[in-house]
Amino acid sequence: MLAVAIFWVMAVLAVLGGLGVIVSRQPIRSILSLVVVMLALSVLFLLLSAQFVFAVQVIVYAGAVMVLFLFVVALLGPGRERRGGHLRFQWWLGWLVGLVFGGFIYSMVQGAHFRPPQHVDLSSFGTVQEIGMGIFTRFLYPFELTSVLLLVAAVGAIYLSRGGWLSGGRRAALSDEERAGREEEPHA
Amino acid sequence: MPDYGQITIGGGTLSATWFLGLAAILFTLGAIGVLVRRNPLIILICIELMLNAVNLTLITFARQLQDLDGQLFALMTMTVAAAEAVVGLAILVDISRVREVEDIDELNELKG
Repeated sequence: MLAVAIFWVMAVLAVLGGLGVIVSRQPIRSILSLVVVMLALSVLFLLLSAQFVFAVQVIVYAGAVMVLFLFVVALLGPGRERRGGHLRFQWWLGWLVGLVFGGFIYSMVQGAHFRPPQHVDLSSFGTVQEIGMGIFTRFLYPFELTSVLLLVAAVGAIYLSRGGWLSGGRRAALSDEERAGREEEPHA
Repeated sequence: MPDYGQITIGGGTLSATWFLGLAAILFTLGAIGVLVRRNPLIILICIELMLNAVNLTLITFARQLQDLDGQLFALMTMTVAAAEAVVGLAILVDISRVREVEDIDELNELKG
């Protein structure tokens, strides 16, 4: 019974957090709502006996990635969102498409039949040993590829954030007056 | 036909469809956010929300089939999501040096 209660509490928290992500006007509140979603989901991962993924979710996702988002908000300033814009119909169309899409997925999931499970020892399912056995035997090649991907992402992020080709070229194109005007502009 | 979708956890029995339904709701919220919101930072956050929902389905099926591959896939997804967030945020910071981006529809220089 306890597991069922934990599931419902965390599911409600996750859905409320998800609503908070898309509803709140300030980016900082969206980010903190996403942290709520991630922590709720991490508890569900633990419920589904994915201990290692739980730890990674809390440390890497709710920790590192979200701190990165917070840093970017701190760097760019809290940009409040304007209503409207020149694609006004997009708002309603977006909600419509999203809700129809969600209804399709939901009804598909409700009618699902499941394959019979394998019967493995659940006491060691999802532990670090099992994950390590999987990663370094059957999934060795994808694992090495993800490390290359991380290296490429790190190099690319450093290059872009040091002022890559885009800002370098554009900044040279701005005239001196424009630049002076831009720098005198008080930050809101 | 037995219902293989039941997951027994510590005495309680949960249905895998509950987890899948929750993941569907979260994914839909993320998709609506990408379509509706204008701030590019919030769009990146909504993409993270969708990736998390997908992770939940992967881990649910890993537990239901009692097959570890789903959890390994979820770890790969997390790595890709982290890389995507880093590069997306770096692009955002780089663009914001040139000008303020409040609305993603303003970035339309590539329009023919």
